[in-house]
Amino acid sequence: MSSADREIQELLADYAGALRDGCLPTFLKSLTRDEARRISESRDFWEATEVVRLLNSAGFGEKVVTPDVGLFISRVDAGIASRMKKAHASTRDHSRSHVNLQ
Amino acid sequence: MFIGHLHRYLGNEVECEDVLEDVYADIWENPDHLRNIEDERHLLKTVYLYYMRKRLREVYRRLNRRACLSQDDLQNLMAPDLGLCDLVSQEELKQLLHKMLGKLKARERKAIELWMEGMSNRAIANQLGTTVGAVKMLEFRTILKLREMLKEQYRVSGGED
Repeated sequence: MSSADREIQELLADYAGALRDGCLPTFLKSLTRDEARRISESRDFWEATEVVRLLNSAGFGEKVVTPDVGLFISRVDAGIASRMKKAHASTRDHSRSHVNLQ
Repeated sequence: MFIGHLHRYLGNEVECEDVLEDVYADIWENPDHLRNIEDERHLLKTVYLYYMRKRLREVYRRLNRRACLSQDDLQNLMAPDLGLCDLVSQEELKQLLHKMLGKLKARERKAIELWMEGMSNRAIANQLGTTVGAVKMLEFRTILKLREMLKEQYRVSGGED
């Protein structure tokens, strides 16, 4: 274990900061093997993450809004249209292969 | 309501929006789970368990090929089982936290409140006249204390789910 490895309280503080600042990937990438093992084995860490999420939610959750609802809805519509197209294409392919088999 | 809930796990508005987009499309594709919804809490629980959780787990799955955390731990971090207060409304949560913070020692409460205002640990350390390491330890202990209070609160109320 490297002496530079963070203690569990430092890992929790860094996780909390990353969650609050919206940069969890950076936190995940920063973990060394020993730190990951330490997290895995620490019940305190896992229990504390729940509280961190609640604090994060109480402090910042309300401020989260979809900036452009119209744009968001059109993205959802486009996603649904794309899924419908895929489903339609796969049904067509399926019936084609069925015809070929006959 | 959904985007605020997603923010608990992701902390990033752009990612929240991307996940929510998929969640809505998933609901459109398979709405069966949303039949017979009784109230807002039931709706949130159903949407989380059947639609959000799967999408949340996908967010950093690819990244974890380069990270050290095991896949299980990553999943537990990103999309855990529902905890004691995961389904309370924003208003209830605020009231609960206000009550719990009132029971803490002044220094503990100050550290958590400053953190919730968005201050860095260094800035909190400056405010409290201590070191960054001491602030991290103080936050850790205080968070565990809050966790115990939550458990106690949940026991007293007899559990709501």
